[in-house]
Amino acid sequence: MPGYFARLTPRYRRSWALVAAYLAFLVLISLIDFGGNTAGQTLFRGLMLSMLIFLVASGLSLIFGLLDVLNFAQGAFVLVGAYIGYATYQSVELSSTYSFLAAVGAAVVSVGLLGAVIETGLIRPLYARPVFQIVLTFGLGAILLDLVQRIYGPQPKQPLAPPELFRGTFYLFGQSLSIYRLFIIGLGLVIMVAVGLLLNRTRLGIIIRAGVQDAEMVQALGINVRRVFTFVFVLGAVLAGLAGIVLVPYQGATLDLGNQFLILAIVVVVIGGMGSYEGTAVASFIVGLTRAVAEQMSLKHFDAPVLAETSILILMIVVLLVQPSGLFGREES
Amino acid sequence: MIERAVYRRVERIENPTGRKLAAGLVRLVLENWFYALFFVLLWRFPYLVADLTDSEVMPQRPTGGSVFWQSVMAQTLLIACLAMSYNVLFGFGGIISFGHALFFGIGGYTTFILMREYEPGARWPVLAGFAALVVVIGALARIPWRRLALAALVGAALLYLLLPGSGGVSVYQGFGVAVLLSVALSLLSGAVTLRLRGVYFAMFTLALAEVFWVLAKSGTLRALTGAEDGLPFRDLIPDALNPTPTAGGNRLAMYRVTVIFFALVFLAIRRYINSPVGRVIVAVRDNEQRARAIGYNAFHYKLLTMVFAGVLATLSGLLFVLWGSAKRVDPTLLSLNYTVEPLLLTLIGGVGTLTGPVVAALGLELGRTYLREETFTFSTRLFGLLSLWQALWVAGFALFFYVFRRGLRRGVARALGAGRDPGSRAVTLAAGAGAAAALIVVALVAQAIYAETDLDTYVYKVADLWQLFQGMLFVLVVMLLPHGIVGTWNRWWFNRRLRRMARQAAARAAGAETAEPSGGHEA
Amino acid sequence: MTGPAAAPNHGAGAPPLLDVEQIHTFIGEFHILQGVSVQVPRGSITVLLGRNGAGKTTTLRSIMGLNPPRAGQIRFAGQSIHRLRPHQIAQRGIGYVPEKRIIFRDLTVGQNLQIAERQKGDLARKADLIFGLFPDLHRLYDLPGGHLSGGQQQMLAIARALVPDNALLLIDEPSEGLAPVLIEQMMDAIRRLSAHTTVLLVEQNFQVASRLAEHYVIIEEGATVRAGRMADLVSDKQLIKTYLGVA
Repeated sequence: MPGYFARLTPRYRRSWALVAAYLAFLVLISLIDFGGNTAGQTLFRGLMLSMLIFLVASGLSLIFGLLDVLNFAQGAFVLVGAYIGYATYQSVELSSTYSFLAAVGAAVVSVGLLGAVIETGLIRPLYARPVFQIVLTFGLGAILLDLVQRIYGPQPKQPLAPPELFRGTFYLFGQSLSIYRLFIIGLGLVIMVAVGLLLNRTRLGIIIRAGVQDAEMVQALGINVRRVFTFVFVLGAVLAGLAGIVLVPYQGATLDLGNQFLILAIVVVVIGGMGSYEGTAVASFIVGLTRAVAEQMSLKHFDAPVLAETSILILMIVVLLVQPSGLFGREES
Repeated sequence: MIERAVYRRVERIENPTGRKLAAGLVRLVLENWFYALFFVLLWRFPYLVADLTDSEVMPQRPTGGSVFWQSVMAQTLLIACLAMSYNVLFGFGGIISFGHALFFGIGGYTTFILMREYEPGARWPVLAGFAALVVVIGALARIPWRRLALAALVGAALLYLLLPGSGGVSVYQGFGVAVLLSVALSLLSGAVTLRLRGVYFAMFTLALAEVFWVLAKSGTLRALTGAEDGLPFRDLIPDALNPTPTAGGNRLAMYRVTVIFFALVFLAIRRYINSPVGRVIVAVRDNEQRARAIGYNAFHYKLLTMVFAGVLATLSGLLFVLWGSAKRVDPTLLSLNYTVEPLLLTLIGGVGTLTGPVVAALGLELGRTYLREETFTFSTRLFGLLSLWQALWVAGFALFFYVFRRGLRRGVARALGAGRDPGSRAVTLAAGAGAAAALIVVALVAQAIYAETDLDTYVYKVADLWQLFQGMLFVLVVMLLPHGIVGTWNRWWFNRRLRRMARQAAARAAGAETAEPSGGHEA
Repeated sequence: MTGPAAAPNHGAGAPPLLDVEQIHTFIGEFHILQGVSVQVPRGSITVLLGRNGAGKTTTLRSIMGLNPPRAGQIRFAGQSIHRLRPHQIAQRGIGYVPEKRIIFRDLTVGQNLQIAERQKGDLARKADLIFGLFPDLHRLYDLPGGHLSGGQQQMLAIARALVPDNALLLIDEPSEGLAPVLIEQMMDAIRRLSAHTTVLLVEQNFQVASRLAEHYVIIEEGATVRAGRMADLVSDKQLIKTYLGVA
C-alpha cells in the first residue's frame, strides 16, 4: 500500500486529496446541520448505501472496462436478485439464518446463470458493434423488469425480518445502530477487498487488468479472452444480484429498485473513472454519503427528498466539467 | 422503365434551357412522387376514416372513428418526428443520447411556466442569466469569440423581443423561448461531453434528463410544475391551438397543422443531411479522425447537429403536448419513455435512413392503438394456427436450435459441401423469433399463475403486453435486423442493382468480344 | 497475381516454418490484402518490406488471426492455422510483438512478463535468456509498464514474446520512433534472439532491415510482388528504387 501512494501520479494525488477534503466536508456539514446524533445515523446509513452501490457499480465498471459494454441491464440484475431472494427467503422453511443463506445462494446462482446466458448468447455476437450492445442491454433490462413484474406482481414487497444472527441494534458512541446495516457494510468491505485482491494478486486478475487496456493483445499472448469476458460478466451480475438480496431485509423489493441503482452506479462509474477499480470504490463512498446527507438535509429543510435525487446527478455533472475522465480514470480525448 | 422513357423524351428537347428545366422538373417528380402521394394520403386520412367507419370528419359531438383516428394519427406523426430527430443524432451524427426526452418535454414546461409566472420585471434578469450561460458554453466549447459574440447578440435580441416589457407572455412567445432554451441546453450538454468518448455522452445526457424529470416530479416545486399531476394549461391556450373538439377547438385544422409540420420536419432533415454540412456530419460519424485531419472541426459540426435535433424534438414535443387530452404538461414527457421510444423506432426503421423512423412509428404506434383493446386467452389459437401451448413447444425447439446454431450451421454447410454457410441468417432469424415467442409465453403463464386463475380462462390484453413486446423488439432488432426495415430493404435493393449492373457489364463484354471483328470494318 | 517473380520457394528443399499462401483479408468493407504470400524458412530472419499502407501490419495480424483472412491458406509447422482463434494460434507457438509496442501500462514489468506464461515456470526457465538480452528489464522489474521509456517498452514487448517457447516471432516495426543508439541495441537483441527462434519482421527502415534479415518479401498494394534472399536485393539498386523508393 505505501508503495501505491509513493508511485501515484500528481493527478491521482490531487484526486485523493479532493476526495478526502470532500468527505471531510460532508462529515462536517452533517455534524453542524443535524447535530451529533442524527449525523452519526445519517453517515452510518450513507456507509451502508455506499456498499450497496459499490456492489452494483463495481460490476458495471469491470464489465465496461474489460468488455467495453455499458451494461444497462445491471440494474435489472439487482432487481432479479432481490425478487428471487425474496421469494426464497420467504418460502424456505428453515431457521431464518439458513433460509437467508439459501436466499443469497438462490439469488446469486440464478443471476449468475442469467448473466452467463446473456453474455454467451447475446452479447458475444455483438462485440463488433458496441453501440448495439448498449441498446441490447437496455432492451434486456426492460424485458427482465417486465418479467419480474409479471411473476411477482406490481405491488412492492415489504421488508422481511433480517436473519436472527443480524437482528437487533448495537451501541457505538452513544448511538443505537442496526446490526443488519453493519452486516451490509461488513459484507461490502469484504467483497471490496476480495475483488481488489483478485485483481492484483492472481493471474486471472492480472489478465483482467491487462484486458481492460487491450483485450486483443491479451488474446495474442495465447489467452482465451472470451472465457475471461464471460467470467467478468458473470461476476458483475453476481455482485449486483447480491446487492439485490441483501437489500430485502432492509427495504424490501420494489420494481424501481433496478433503475434507481443503475443510475447510482452510473454516477459512481463516471465520477470514479471508467474501468478504474480504485476509482469505483472511492466514488461509491462519495455517492453513498452524499446521497444520505442530502436526503437528510432536504427532509429537514424542505420536507421532501428532492435534494437526494438531484444532488448526486449534480455531483456527476460537476465532476464531468472539472475532470472529464473521472477522478481516477485515464486521460482521454 | 417509365423513368428511362421519360428521360429519353426529355433529352430530345431542342431548346437547352427548356431541356434543363424539364429535366429538373422530371427529377423532382420522380424523386418525390412517393412522398407527395403519402402526403396527400395523410391529408385525406380523416375523410378516408370517416368513409370507412361511417363517421363525420367534424361532428357536433366529438365522437366517432374519424375524430379518434385524427388524434391517433397526429400523435403518431409527432412521435415519428421525434424519432426522426433522434435519428439525426444517432443515425447520421453517430451520437448516442439517452436524454432526448429532455428536449421533448422541456418545451411544454417552459412555455406554460412562463405564461403563468412571467412578470415584466423578469426580463433583464433572464437576459443576464442568458449572457452568463453563453459565456459558460463559449468557454467550455472553445468557440471563437467573434462567433460567440454574434450568437449571443442574436440570442439576446430574440429573447428581448420574446419577453415583453409589459404584460404577460403569449403562447407563441413562450414557444420561441422554449426553442431558445432547447438550443442552450443542447449546446451545454454538447460542450461538456462531446469531446469525450460516446459512452460519457450517453451517460451524461441520461443524468441530465433524469435531473429535469425528478425536478418536474418533485413535490417541492409543486407550485411551479404541478408535480406528478402536471401543469394544467387548458385556460392558457387559444381555441385555435386546441384540438379537443369539446370547446370550440378545431381538431381538423390542428390535424392539418400537424401534417404540415411533419412534412416540414422531413424535408428539413433531408435538406440538412444532403447539405454540405450534413455530408461533413456523416463523414465525422464514419471516421472522426480523418474528418478532423481534412480540416473540419468535428466538434462544432456535432454541436450543430445536436442543436438541430434538439430544436426539432422540442417543436414536436410542443405540438404533442397540445394534442394531449388531459391538457396538462406532465412529468412523463420528460421520462425515459420518450428516449426509449424514438431509439427503438430508429432501430426498427433503420439507423441512418430518412424514412425508417417514420415507417417504424406508423407501424408500431398505429398497431399499438389498433390492438390495444384486443384480448386473447390460452385456448384461442394464434393466427388461427396454434394454441399457446403448442406455440411453447415450437418455441422450445427454436430455442434449442438457437443455442446449437453454430454446430447446426456447420453441419448444413458440410452436408451441402459449400464453403460458406447457406441460410445461416434464416436459421438465426427463425430461432431468435422462436426464443422471443418462448419468452412471451413464459411471461404469460407466469402472469396467469400470479393471478391464481386457470390458465385456459385467463384473459390477456394486448396493451398489457406492450412493455414486454417492446423490450423483445429491442433485442430482436439488434440481434437479427441490425439495419432495420428500411436499411435492410435499401441494402437488398442496392445489391440487386449491383448484380444487375454486373450482369449487364458481363453481357456487354461478351457481346463486344463477338462483335469485335466486324466492328473494325465499320470504323 | 504474385507479380513478376512469383514467390520462389527459397527455403531450399525444407518446408518453410510458416507458409502464407495467397491470403485475402478485409477490414470492414475494404479489401486490404489481395493475395499475399509469405514463406518464412526455419531458423532465420525474414523481413516484410513495402511502402506505408501496403498491408504489412495487416499481414502479421492476419497470421495471428486478429484480422482473419477470408480466403487463402496459412500453414504453420505443416499444420493449417487459419480459421483458428488468435489465442489458439498463439498457443501453437507464435509470439506477436505489435507495432506501437503495446505493453500493459497498469501492470508491472514482472506482471507483463508473467501474463505471457503459457505454463507455470516459463518465466523462471527463460529468465536468463530474457535478462541476458535485456538487462534493463531486471532493474525495472517492479515498475509499472507505463513508467518505462519508449525503448524500454519495446524491449519489454519483445521480451514478453520470448517468455513461452515460441517457434516464431512476429515483430512489427521494432525500430519505429527509437533513437539511433537504441535501434542498434534493438538490432543486436533481435540478432541474438534469432539464434533461438525464427523471426518474421516488419521494418520500414531499410538500413535496419537489410542488415538484419536473410530473406525478404516485398508487399505492394496488398499483394506480394517479390521475394528472395536479402543479399540479392541489396545488390540490385534498381529493384530497391522501384519497390521501396529508397536510393
